[in-house]
Amino acid sequence: MDRLARLRYLVVIAQLCLVARLVHLQLIGGAHYRALAEQNRLRLVPELPPRGLILDRNGRSIAGSQTVFRVAIVPQELEDLQAVLTYVGAVVQRPVESLRKEYAKEQSLAFLPATIVQRVPKDLAIRMEEERWRYPGLLVRPETVRAYPLNTGAAHLLGYLSQPTAEEVPLLKQYGVRPKQLVGRMGLERLLDHALQGRSGGVMVEINHRARQVRVLGRRASESGARVALTIDGQLSSLIQAAFGSQAGAAVVLDPETGAILAMTSSPSFPPEAFATAENTAIRRLLNDPQSPLMNRAAVAGYQPGSIMKLVTAAAALEQHVVTPATVINCPGSLTIGDRTIHCWNRDGHGPVALRDAITQSCNVYFMQLARRVRWDRLRAAQEQIGLAHRTGWPMEEHSGHLPRRRLSEGEVALMGIGQGEILVTPLQAAVLAGAFANGGWIVEPWIVQTVGGRTVPRRASRRRVGWSAATLDTVRTGMRAVVTDPAGTGRRALSSVVTVAGKTGTAQTNLEGQNHGWFVGYCPVDAPKGAFAIIAEYGGSGGDVPADIARTVCEYLALPGEDHVKLATGR
Amino acid sequence: MSSWQRVADEFDWWLFGAAAGLALVSGLAMASAASTVHAGLAMRHWGWTAAGMLLSIAVARLNYRTLSEYAGLIYGLSLAALVAVELAGAVRLGAARWLSIFGFSVQPSELAKLATVWLLARHLAGQGAVLPNSVVWASLAIAGVPAVLIFIQPDLGSATIFGAIWLGIVWVAGIRGRLLAGLAGAALAAAPLAWHLLKGYQRDRLLAFINPHADPLGAGYTIIQSTIAIGSGRLWGRGWFAGTQNQLSFLPERHSDFIFSVIGEEWGWLGCVAVIALFGLLLFRVLRLAMASAAPQGQLLAVGIFSWIAYQACVNMGMVMGLLPVVGVPLPLVSYGGSSMVVVWLALGLLQSVRRADREV
Repeated sequence: MDRLARLRYLVVIAQLCLVARLVHLQLIGGAHYRALAEQNRLRLVPELPPRGLILDRNGRSIAGSQTVFRVAIVPQELEDLQAVLTYVGAVVQRPVESLRKEYAKEQSLAFLPATIVQRVPKDLAIRMEEERWRYPGLLVRPETVRAYPLNTGAAHLLGYLSQPTAEEVPLLKQYGVRPKQLVGRMGLERLLDHALQGRSGGVMVEINHRARQVRVLGRRASESGARVALTIDGQLSSLIQAAFGSQAGAAVVLDPETGAILAMTSSPSFPPEAFATAENTAIRRLLNDPQSPLMNRAAVAGYQPGSIMKLVTAAAALEQHVVTPATVINCPGSLTIGDRTIHCWNRDGHGPVALRDAITQSCNVYFMQLARRVRWDRLRAAQEQIGLAHRTGWPMEEHSGHLPRRRLSEGEVALMGIGQGEILVTPLQAAVLAGAFANGGWIVEPWIVQTVGGRTVPRRASRRRVGWSAATLDTVRTGMRAVVTDPAGTGRRALSSVVTVAGKTGTAQTNLEGQNHGWFVGYCPVDAPKGAFAIIAEYGGSGGDVPADIARTVCEYLALPGEDHVKLATGR
Repeated sequence: MSSWQRVADEFDWWLFGAAAGLALVSGLAMASAASTVHAGLAMRHWGWTAAGMLLSIAVARLNYRTLSEYAGLIYGLSLAALVAVELAGAVRLGAARWLSIFGFSVQPSELAKLATVWLLARHLAGQGAVLPNSVVWASLAIAGVPAVLIFIQPDLGSATIFGAIWLGIVWVAGIRGRLLAGLAGAALAAAPLAWHLLKGYQRDRLLAFINPHADPLGAGYTIIQSTIAIGSGRLWGRGWFAGTQNQLSFLPERHSDFIFSVIGEEWGWLGCVAVIALFGLLLFRVLRLAMASAAPQGQLLAVGIFSWIAYQACVNMGMVMGLLPVVGVPLPLVSYGGSSMVVVWLALGLLQSVRRADREV
């Protein structure tokens, strides 16, 4: 009988084992298992916020959104994958295998559509939508993507968006960026990325063991990114971009009073949408293009200034009283310093010239003599005063330009007086330089963002006096006006019947024999300047040709913006 | 005094109460567990429970000794049914365990358990203090034949129950310690051979028990989801109909073998301990009844039923908690399954009869 009684202990021991295990599972590990159970059933589906709009000074959208059609598969509704893929492949003319690969890559939760074709034309989208009932699981859905109405116009300013790389995702996560969310890569899209992103929302979904959605538990709406207003004029940007055509170069137009950038273009340009939609062949072509279309020449490319430097040389000479406006210097067609002979562009010589004519006709001999009289230290000081070899304060990437720090030989000083030798200037610096003549001697700091999310972006005190006398400035300006108006002026092609233009041409030598960059810097209208500009055409010959033409186009637009300008242009 | 009155006086209300308590817990848990499996499932379960209870009370009125005349016949019938299952059974979940009789799906292995207990009790009763070897061999055959028939269905879990039943009965009937040790040694030596007899999925389950995370979506899935369900219940549980593992179907077989996980998830630690306590009460009452019984046959019948229910309850609860490998063994009186429910209630009814009959001696 004791054997029977012992069975009781067996019961007690078994019970104790079970209860001990339950204590371990439920009381000690309960929180952990509760969390696992919640992980099992809850999924957060992020809802990406619409990216903030970017508007130009006239309130026109220059970076907004557009609806595209994507083809997706909803795994939980799928019945016959092969049939769906075959059908879609036939419609969009893509091999079934590539679609299958895409599906395998994109597929996540059963209720989340997996995109297999990023973009289909509207007519195909409608066709598939109509025949969709035959292919359960197929979904054609509209989605908003970033659109740039100016296309290549202002592309360098706006920049582009692309998906973060695998390495970036963990870093961006702390700023609330989701893996599929596009991030700004260049220009303003990068500078203002955080404000433009907005705040992600999401839907908390309860799922079952097959990852099918059971119900929605909660939703937080996404918050659209901040709206950004710029100082630039989108129409003007497009106009300049079109004027360059296939010609490489850059142009900067700014308001000489405030430094607000009205247009900044770099040619060749690129369509920013290519990156957002991950068009690999298009991107590869842009990256491999020897002309570097992604580079913003207006701010990051340094060029030899050539004759546009004569404006600074003239001002320095007047300030140092080494010449007066009436001083006459003879140009025999060349100048010999030591054993080196430097020719004027006019080999026959300009004869005796005073300052106004020297500017108008861009006489090299005159300004080389001036530079020798001013001497290098004072010439360099004047060049630095006008902002060369220093950053302009531009909020994005820029090149600071270059001036030599060493002692220069007599010949090198003479060449420096006509903008040749060891000197580099960016188009942005050249525009600020032109602005200083336009506004009576102020160096402005270029800026572009007016408001972000309705709030004005604070700016530093952004004007600095050059410190040249009004008389000096007036004398140079008279010359600049004559460059355009004088029958012998080098910038005659900038002459307009609707607006007064002042400027200076420049021709920068390159390391290719006979191939020169053409410059035109100036401002308009002459009496109350609305715009100061610098235009450079790479290997575009003389500054009096293409750049002067573009200058006239810019000035006429500034004088008669918008519709009036269009009428004027078509009326001709 | 009417016969009903006598039955009521002699009735072990504690035993009945413990079983009814389990049935109540089961009925409530089933409502929640079955709601996402099949609409009519809970109703059918309640029906089987009620049928089992009524049958139990009816059997309690009878004299088990009269019925014991038919123990051999019932055993023979259940063996025949097992063979029939082998030849023409319905295959579900990869195993042929069911036989269709008059539109009902019957699981003959459940009846075989009771029949085996009964026949073993009859066979071993009155053999004296120490069992002769020939009797032991015969008893091994009585338990072994249905076990083998069930093992090849295949149903490893149910087959092992016959071993537990046999062990319990021969232990109390007086098997010699040396013989038992020898048999245990032989069983251990045969274990590697048994491994080869196991089906692939059975081996997977045993391996998954050792390391469930080796294949979390395959063999290990069930046990991982089950421990998550039980653990997430914590002290108070997530509430009736509010267990997410259950309601969202993360828990497989939640109405049958894994019903205890549902109780753990929705009713928490307190619910689980209550179920274990109810089983403890039930088993203690069965042992008490066995000890109080003067007749060897009745006593061994009680011990056999004790071994059966105790083993099955322990293995099931241990399995869902991850203490034991996953073998398909239902929780007696709680899991879904008509055959099991009715047969266990029948066994409890027989025990009431034993109590009454053997006291009168």
